[in-house]
Amino acid sequence: MKVSRSILAVLLATSFSTVSMAADVVKIAITGPFSGGSAPMGLSMRDGARLAVSQINQSGGISVAGKKMKIELIERDDEGKNDRGALVAQEISSMGDISAVIGTVNTGVAVMGDKYYVEKGIVKIITPAAGSASMTQWSKAGVKDLPIFRFASHDGIQAQMVVEKALRLGFTRVAILHDATNYGVSGRDDLIDQIKKQGNKLNVVALEKFAIGDKDMTGQLIKAKAAGAQAILIWGIGPELAAVASGKEKLGFKVPMIGGWTLSMSNFIDTAGASGNGALMPQTFIEDESIARAKPFILAYHKAYGVARIPSPVSAAQGYDAALLLAEAIHEAGSTAPSKIKLSLENLKVTVKGSIADWKKPWTRWNPLNVETHEAFRRATTVMGKVQNGRVILANPSEKFVLEGTNAN
Amino acid sequence: MDAQYLALAQMAVGGGLMGMAYALVAYGFQLTYAAGKAVNFGQGELVMLGAFAGISLAGAGLPYWLSVLGAMAAGAALGWLVERVAVRLALKQRNEGWILLTIIVGLFALSSVENIWGRDDRPYPAPWPTGAIDFFGISVTWPELAIAAGALGIMTLVELAKRYTMVGIAVQAVSADPDAAELCGIRSRSAITLSWAVSGVAAAFAGTVIGPVTTVGPTMAAALTLKAFSVAVVAGLDSGFGLVIAGIALGAAENLSGYVLGSGWREAPGLILLILALSLRPQGVFGKKIIRKV
Amino acid sequence: MIAGLDLGLREKSAERILRIALFIVLGALPALWHGQYALGLLTLMAVYAVLLIGLDATVGYLGQVNLAQAALFGLGAYGTALAVQAGAPFYLALPAGILAALLPGASLALPALRLEGPQFALSTLSFATLSVIVLNESESITHGALGLSIVRPTLFTVVLDARGFYWLCLVLLFIAWWASGILLKSRFGLSVEALRDSPTATDALGIGTLRHKVLAFAWGSALAGLAGALHALNFGYLQPAAFGYDLMVMLLLGVVFGGRRSQWGAFAGAAVVAMLPNLLSNRILFSSLVGCGCALTLVPAIRALITRRVPSFRESAPLGAMVIALALAFFASNVEEWRKGIFALFLFAAVVGLPDGLAGAVAAAMHRFIRFTPDPLPQAAEGVMKSHTITSALPLRALKLSKSFGGVKAVDNVTLEIGQGETLGLIGPNGSGKTTFINLVSGLYAPDGGSVEIAGTRPVPGKLMAAFSAGAARTFQNLQPFSGLTALESIIVCQRDGGKPEAMGWLRAVGLEANARERCSDMSYGDLRFLEIARALSTRPRLLMLDEPAAGMSKPDIARLVDLVASIKRMGLPVLLIEHHQDVVAELCDRVAVMDGGRLIALGTSEQIRRDPKVIEAYLGADDEEAEVRDQKEAHAC
Repeated sequence: MKVSRSILAVLLATSFSTVSMAADVVKIAITGPFSGGSAPMGLSMRDGARLAVSQINQSGGISVAGKKMKIELIERDDEGKNDRGALVAQEISSMGDISAVIGTVNTGVAVMGDKYYVEKGIVKIITPAAGSASMTQWSKAGVKDLPIFRFASHDGIQAQMVVEKALRLGFTRVAILHDATNYGVSGRDDLIDQIKKQGNKLNVVALEKFAIGDKDMTGQLIKAKAAGAQAILIWGIGPELAAVASGKEKLGFKVPMIGGWTLSMSNFIDTAGASGNGALMPQTFIEDESIARAKPFILAYHKAYGVARIPSPVSAAQGYDAALLLAEAIHEAGSTAPSKIKLSLENLKVTVKGSIADWKKPWTRWNPLNVETHEAFRRATTVMGKVQNGRVILANPSEKFVLEGTNAN
Repeated sequence: MDAQYLALAQMAVGGGLMGMAYALVAYGFQLTYAAGKAVNFGQGELVMLGAFAGISLAGAGLPYWLSVLGAMAAGAALGWLVERVAVRLALKQRNEGWILLTIIVGLFALSSVENIWGRDDRPYPAPWPTGAIDFFGISVTWPELAIAAGALGIMTLVELAKRYTMVGIAVQAVSADPDAAELCGIRSRSAITLSWAVSGVAAAFAGTVIGPVTTVGPTMAAALTLKAFSVAVVAGLDSGFGLVIAGIALGAAENLSGYVLGSGWREAPGLILLILALSLRPQGVFGKKIIRKV
Repeated sequence: MIAGLDLGLREKSAERILRIALFIVLGALPALWHGQYALGLLTLMAVYAVLLIGLDATVGYLGQVNLAQAALFGLGAYGTALAVQAGAPFYLALPAGILAALLPGASLALPALRLEGPQFALSTLSFATLSVIVLNESESITHGALGLSIVRPTLFTVVLDARGFYWLCLVLLFIAWWASGILLKSRFGLSVEALRDSPTATDALGIGTLRHKVLAFAWGSALAGLAGALHALNFGYLQPAAFGYDLMVMLLLGVVFGGRRSQWGAFAGAAVVAMLPNLLSNRILFSSLVGCGCALTLVPAIRALITRRVPSFRESAPLGAMVIALALAFFASNVEEWRKGIFALFLFAAVVGLPDGLAGAVAAAMHRFIRFTPDPLPQAAEGVMKSHTITSALPLRALKLSKSFGGVKAVDNVTLEIGQGETLGLIGPNGSGKTTFINLVSGLYAPDGGSVEIAGTRPVPGKLMAAFSAGAARTFQNLQPFSGLTALESIIVCQRDGGKPEAMGWLRAVGLEANARERCSDMSYGDLRFLEIARALSTRPRLLMLDEPAAGMSKPDIARLVDLVASIKRMGLPVLLIEHHQDVVAELCDRVAVMDGGRLIALGTSEQIRRDPKVIEAYLGADDEEAEVRDQKEAHAC
């Protein structure tokens, strides 16, 4: 009885959802991990995007072909899990009235789910997921017309910077630690690739992996220590990174951690405590009010969400700017149809002033042979950050100008 | 000492200390099994709740020791609740419905924790000095030692109570033969409830000592339940301090296999050992053989 | 209440009609309910249904908590995925998946064999965890945590789109459903249920726990493999972590909530598990569902209050769970985040208030409103109690049997023989070792010393099945009924030869013909005692052992019992009879053996042992002096 009743009810519910509401909203979906180990990034990205959307809506909405349209957000939690991400993507792509999607933190989710968007031609701006595979999967598949864009500093850039930093600090022997997810594995591959490209001057004395949920890294760290590593190049997410930091402390193994941008996550910084100080990572955004461009966004975020510190500043700022760019693209397209929005994103006419930079045509026409056409960030727009006393600061104060300037394309 | 052996020793010691936490959780199994032949399949969730209770109390300003005591009190209450809600009915019906019901209650507890405290892992604030103590080249942290001391302490206390207090002896009588005990005027139901409450205390305390080492989060529950179960079964559900030996052995084996085979294989030898132990000696290494009566 | 609606249908036919109707509706749904997402859900539901039908074999029929099913599901999925990667066509990839789950599953049953209850659950859980670890770590083969992607192959040159694949799943589900029904309602299924109710009796009566446990588990694993294969082909992407404990709990709870021992229940559970995320994301829908739940659970509680009784736990707890769920429905900021908790609440209500699950409740309701034509009972066959073939060897030769438990010598150096066609009584005070003696002979315990020979064969000591093969059959002092089976089914499952008519014949022989369709759990104590004798008789043993058959029986029943044993004597079947009722012993037994303190103290005719001073002393105690004198004499004599 209950079963058939619920099937009937679901039938009714879904049939209602296909009847769209008043025609003056444009629907944008935000997906990401709002729970689990990656949650700080997902939540910050969402909150950053929400902030942009509420500011736009408050000023009347987007002007689309002369009519003012408000933005309606549909949010879905992919829990950082690949299969859940695929389900979420399936659900959104079958909704029929979604113009665009912003989101995804975990590379695996992008790899698994984005194909549904490509199938339906729905525009997606990936942020803040950094794994190269999220975009290279499309050039490998030879897709001609791609509605997927990335708005984050991808691993290729980050690995390059990590290796450069290690070399600049004078290290010759390093250990590489990575997690078993798509993100960690592709990070490892990018690191090894970069070491080769930069002249093979770094000797990888230990290569260890760990799983999500591992709390005790003693085994991996002992091996690294015994091999005489001078630094740990690491690709993982918050909780496990913290376990490495405290494990290092326990063994008296005082070497710096240099790794992917996830070292800026609040759950790493908070859990590792003092043992996390000194960790270095590439950042596109630093939560520093002295940076003129960033200040209004930081203040607005703090006020809107009642926090003194953004859990993942990079995710928040990227979510904010991505939403602004999307809104501009919709305006320039004069339509809510994904295909038009896509063209518009590839040919942005107006320079969008974001919290990270002034964005002048960040993307161009998709060329499967050159992934960079749908990548917004370059090496020059990324700086090195450092964990210090519970916050992320600029590792090299002289790089401040990068965060103040426009994007160099 | 040769660096390689030292590394192995380090892994074994760290694992062994952690294993005492498993033994403590398994001790909770032993207590409830003795009283009513039932165990809490959601014991890991009780450990997790104890840890979170401790964190919240500490966050509210209570000093560490009080927060631990508070967590233990919460554990007692929760243990009572689980018995009342998930076990009593099955015991009355003399079936094994408690297996499913304790799983269900544990699931609800997990969901509640996810929503009340969030899904992220948190550090447990403990006043131990940071940094490690060096024992002949092996690093041991204070929280790890606290686990060992705490586990042994609680188990000893309860065992002493069992033997030397009237209440404890009454509970033992109920374990041996509930009907006979009733005839002597001992209320079996109260004895069973008491065992579950004490089991809850043990679990909650375990949470407060494990927390500082592993951080506290919803994911800690499931892993713990299985490991504690392994210890309980390999040692035998009525083996008393045999649990400690089994716990140390399992913890050490886990760490060593993670080190030698790779972190993903950590749990494997423990699990294989468990299946073997179950097939060859179901009553456990230290347990007494069950005599079938018809 | 409404008098039952008589449709002139047998229950079996009604079920068949309903099932076909269900599949027609399921098949037609994609035409009515558009959307890829909906189709995806339906396919998921079909796959889960196959999986849960398999799980029900162990959880429902065997009655054991099986925590390995999710892992076997995963193994099947990976098996198929790897086969597809290796280039296997569709029709080979499916069996590959089945095998990938069947082989580990069947081999798991072997160590899990001797285990019951929580230990069985634990061994299956260990296996499951190990499987996920192996899948995760074998990166070169399975890509580990990164996941494995495959492209669905064509089915005999037909490219299956989503709808076509869904129909394929429905077809396979139908086959799995039908096959399970046949298997689990056959004698095999009855044996599995008997095994659940009394493993000791099933071994003692030769049904064999080993064989059935392994086969039931294997069947469940094969279905898990099939479901896994479909899942891999449906989804196209696999990750080891997806097949862990979280999924297992959902499956377990689905099978329980839907209803155990029922393929309909498995289907209902699968529908709930598949639809659950959707049911939760719509708050109005969810609130109404919980509202219904509250209303339903309120009924028993109100009923109790009307009769001025405090509602018991069983009546009030489900309501409590529903009220909590209702509170969540209204006050939780995000109902979907409470998914696990809500499932737990519904499950709790089901396990406590609806132990037979949704399907059981629906079936019970149906039985109340519809009267089905009962299955016809066959005519009882004549002459089941035909003459027992006499073998040359002695029915029983127990030589110097000894057994100690700890410090207690339960059986001390007992030598006893039973002759052809003889009825031997075994008496003695409580604790004298009589039951232990029977337990040694029937193979429940292995003796510490001495040997047992039954009808010329020396069975492997301590093995119930071995003693049974040698020809022993027995009843139990503490009844060991197959509570879930009917009287007729209890005989069918035990009898050595013949079909339903012969089974009816056995029932008639013990006077239980009228109770054929009665469930053992509903039968009276006295009737169950007679049923145990019928069970043992139907196995056509060479030696029948009755352990206190008259215990607790009423006077008329005792008279019936005496007549029964007398007719067994007339068959020529040798009987070992333990009894306290001296008149029964006197009337039936050719000889009587007396045990005291584990030792055989007297052996002779009824008359002889009644006058034996040692026997009198054993029962009544003796003058201390007399006893001392006699003991001294014994000590000197050698």
